[in-house]
Order: sequence, then structure tokens, then C-alpha cells
Amino acid sequence: MSKFIVETINVVKTYNPGKPNEVTAVRNASLQIDEGCLVVLKGPSGSGKTTLLSLIGCQTKPTRGEVIILGKNVSKLPEKFMNLHKRNHIGFIFQHFQLIAGMSVLDNIVLPLIPEGTSPRERSKRADRLLERFDLGNRRHFKVSHLSGGEQQRVAIARALINNADLLLADEPSAHLDSRLTNELLNYIKRLKRSGRAIVITSHDPIIYQHLAVDQVFEMQDGRIVSS
Amino acid sequence: MISGSWFERQKNIIDYSLQSLLRRRSKNILILIIFILLVFAVSAILFITGSLTREMMITSNDLPDITVQRILGGRQVNVLSSYLPEIGKIPGVESVEARVWGYFYLASLQANFTIYGLDLNLLEEGEYRKLVNWKSVPDGAQRDPAFRMIVGQGVFELLRDIQMDEAYFFYQPSWQKPIPFDIIGTFKTETELQSNDMMILQTEGARKVLELPPDEFSDLAVYVPNPEEIENIALKIQRFFPELRTITSAQIQNTYASVFGWKSAFVLSGLLLAIFAFLILIWDKASGLTPEEKREIGILKAIGWDTDVVLSAKFWEGFILSGISSLAGILLAYAYIYWLRAPGLREIFIGWSTIYPSFQLIPDVDLKFLLLIITISVVPYLAVTIFPAWKAAITDPDAIMRNI
Repeated sequence: MSKFIVETINVVKTYNPGKPNEVTAVRNASLQIDEGCLVVLKGPSGSGKTTLLSLIGCQTKPTRGEVIILGKNVSKLPEKFMNLHKRNHIGFIFQHFQLIAGMSVLDNIVLPLIPEGTSPRERSKRADRLLERFDLGNRRHFKVSHLSGGEQQRVAIARALINNADLLLADEPSAHLDSRLTNELLNYIKRLKRSGRAIVITSHDPIIYQHLAVDQVFEMQDGRIVSS
Repeated sequence: MISGSWFERQKNIIDYSLQSLLRRRSKNILILIIFILLVFAVSAILFITGSLTREMMITSNDLPDITVQRILGGRQVNVLSSYLPEIGKIPGVESVEARVWGYFYLASLQANFTIYGLDLNLLEEGEYRKLVNWKSVPDGAQRDPAFRMIVGQGVFELLRDIQMDEAYFFYQPSWQKPIPFDIIGTFKTETELQSNDMMILQTEGARKVLELPPDEFSDLAVYVPNPEEIENIALKIQRFFPELRTITSAQIQNTYASVFGWKSAFVLSGLLLAIFAFLILIWDKASGLTPEEKREIGILKAIGWDTDVVLSAKFWEGFILSGISSLAGILLAYAYIYWLRAPGLREIFIGWSTIYPSFQLIPDVDLKFLLLIITISVVPYLAVTIFPAWKAAITDPDAIMRNI
């Protein structure tokens, strides 16, 4: 059993295999991430960092190789068990936040709890704690489309944390934020790191990968990890 | 993470589905309205057809087993009394009744009434007494007992409009003077489909009005106790008397059923255009999800929803929308047919008479009609809701969200 919270072994991801538009986004990527570490996957656009993050986040399965999260080889798991593992242990912050526009802040945050059969009362209790923590208490019933970019970012973080994830993944979290909001985000991330979670971020923003709180940086190019 | 019960999970999913329907309310309200109208139209036709057929089947139980008419030169003429003993002698025949009936055209109302001659004393005393609302004839107004009549509710209402609700004066220009008839009762509403345009006259009086000679009748009613023998006896009558035509009660029932069935099919075929438009609409819905809907499914999958949970949510969305529409359509059709008496549709289905019976249809909701309506509405809608959602849900969330 892996002692790492995340381990990838020679992972390859090919989209549309055998078709004219076949693309290999990740090639033989191997990495290990320890508990409580803040790791950045950096690299230019198209380097494969988002795909590697998707593989770690159980959003897709590798074409070859193994992805082991919290000791479980998720690359071999059927969808149902992979989703269960994802719901129980992983929080994902997407590049474009991926919130459901017509829904309220509260309803977006508690979405991962719906399939769990969590009662509305319990959902509301958990969401309230996060709303307070991310200064969103007064936005509880606002539609997310009416929020600023920074507020949407915080809603996305709150949603990723609603299941008390052991592993938090963030795809280009500063891509749509100005420097003030980026610093604000980093403060939140530092606080989350202090709570003992492992955090993996993809970014090509130096403010992120040169930050003091970052423990390790993996550089990617053409789908390969070229340095760490 | 704490997992709740299956019931709690379904409750959450239904809650999400309701929210989802409300978020796309403009589109869903449009579908709801079209859906309700279509279910309403189909249900209304099925209800009225079912009720009329049932009512006709019930009332036709009182029909004679064989009706005998005389045909001369290809047209129906009076039956001579000499046939009565001859037909009565055929083995298996219990009784033969000679009937007096015909039509009387009332120019002032531009209406045709059905006149039937009967011994009203039998009606006053027998088991049929309860079918009539008896009226007391004012003292001194009573004329010859041969000139009394009982009328259907529709006839009575028309006569009341011309202040003839106590007595009516039959008149033809060729007659020397009018023939007055006292109205001694009206038929109760339960019999309205048959009795609405009917006037039951004392036989002697009916003969006068219909100008029927004493030894002739309109037709004969033959009663046969063994139902298995009816067809045989009808054939025998035709063989013995080639100039007579026989109509069995089963043939009349078949005619009623096919008339309503034909009318129902005719109106339903008129609805084909609406059904076709609805199919285009749902096909459009089925041909693919909008990018926004696809993205939403991608988000749900990305945050850990299983494919079956996504499909459950879509199932509930479709079920709620189509279920509410079907229920509303069926209830509206029920109210339209049984409370409002089907204005517009009634004329198509029962407009064989000049005066349209304004009778109350007896509710007859057959479970198989409801199943048919649900099968042709809810099931296809669920299929077209779930199939594209399934296609989106089995794709990697990563691919949906990045549009790969």
C-alpha cells in the first residue's frame, strides 16, 4: 500500500485513441505527494497539467499506468466506486469555477451531498460553517451568477470542502483573478494547508508557484514531468 | 461522509429536479401547456367515446331481440298486422309486438321529434313508472285518454319556450284541425340520450298523428328467450318472408359501437397535426441537450454524482413534468366532458338529431384508457428526457467540461 496521499505511476492519457484527432495529453507521468503538502503542477498551456490533475481528481481514467489516491488504485475502480472515493476524499476547484448559474450559493455548495442522502438540515449546517469561513454568509441565497469573480471563487472552494476532503485540487485557480484576489486565494490555501490537507494546484502564475507555502513544484512539458 | 437512507437520497434528488425544472421555467411552462392540451384533447375524445358507447350498450339492453321491417321498392314501409301471427308461430319466438312510431317535423322550431305509440297505462303501472317524472294534469284540462303523451326533457324544454308545456297541438296543413295532446310526464335524465327528442303518445293518438291505418304498424319487435337462437330466427323470418328485413339487437349494438368508434377515430385523426407538432417538439428536445445542460451534467459528474443519480434526477424531472401535464390534462378533460357537457365535441359525437340532447354523461373512466394516455404521453417523454442525459452522463466529466 502506498504511503503517499497521491501516487501516479507511468500514467498515460490519450484522448480519442485511434481517431484522426488523437491527442496524448500526459506521457509516463510519475509523482508522489505526501500528506499535508502543497504541490504545484506548472507548465505552459497544453503541457498536460490539467489532464494530470483530472486523473488525480478521478475525473477521467488513465489510458495506461496507475493512479493511487489514499492507497486505493482508482485507475482500476469501476465508476461507482471511483465516484464514491472522489466524494469521500477529494475536493476539486475548477478553472472556470463550474458553478450552476441559476442556483443559489447555498445550493451550489451542498451539491456534492445530494447523492449521499444527507438531510437538508445537515447540509445547511455544514454549508453555514463554510459560508462563514469564506465571508459568504450574506450571500447565502444569492444566485451565483450575481456574484463577483472572487466570490464565485470562494463558493467553488466551499463546494470543494463540503465533504471534508483529504485532498484538495485546484485547476489554474488564479487564472481569472487579479493580484489582490490571487493573494486572498493564497491566504485561504495556506489556511487549508494548515488544516493538514494535501493540496495540488496547476498554475503557470509565478505568484502561485513561487509562494513560500508551496512545498514542491512539478514542471510539465508536452505531457511529461520534466523537473521537480 | 455521512450517508443517508435511500429515501432521503431520493428526496434530495427530487428536490434538485424540482429546482432544475424551475430554473428552466419558460421552456418547461411551454412544454407543460402543449402537453396538457394534447392530453386533454385525447382524453376528452376517449372519455366521450367510452361513456357514449357504455350508455348505448346499457340502454340497448332494452331493445327487442329482433326488429322486423318491411321493405318495398328498396324503402321501408308499414308492416301489415297479418305478419304477427305468422312470425309468432316460428319455434323459439316468445312474443311479437307491433310498434307504432315515426317522426314529426315542427317547422316553428325547425326540429324533428321521434314519436312513439305506446299504451301509457302500462307505463303508469309497470316497472318503467320510475323512469318518468309524472305531472298532474290540471282539473278540467284532461281530454280524451287517447291523446296523452310523455316527452323527453329536450322536447319539454323546447315546448316550454313556446308556452306549450302542458299540452301540445299537433298540426299539419293537410289536417282540418290541430290534435291536442296533454303532457302527463317527462322522462328522467338517466334516459336522456335515448329519450331527449322523443314523444311517447298513447297508441291511438300516435296513429292519428303519424297517419297510420288501423291494421298497419311501423315495425315489429320480436322477443326470443334464448340468445343463441336470435340469429337463426332472424334468418328464418327472412327466409319465410323475403320482403321483411330483420335487425338483431347485436347488430344495433355493433352499429352504435362502430359509429362512436368511427367518430372518435375521425376526431383523433384531426388531432394528428397537434400530435405531430408535439413529437417534433420532443424530438427537438431528444436530439441533444443544450450546451448549458451538458455542462451541468458534467459539473454534477465532476463533483462525484454517479451516472444513475444523474439519470434519477432527469427521470424525476421528466416524470414530474409529464405526470403533472397528464394528470392536469385528464382532469380538465373529465371536467370538460362530465361537468361542462363537452361543448363543441358533443355536437360531433351525438349530433344525429336536429335537437341536440343536452344530457349529462355518466362518468365512465376506464383504467385502460388512463393507461393508454399515460403510455402515449409520459413514457415517450421520459425516454426523450433520459436518453440524451444518459449519453452525456456516461462521458468523462473531464471531456464534457473541456469540450473535448
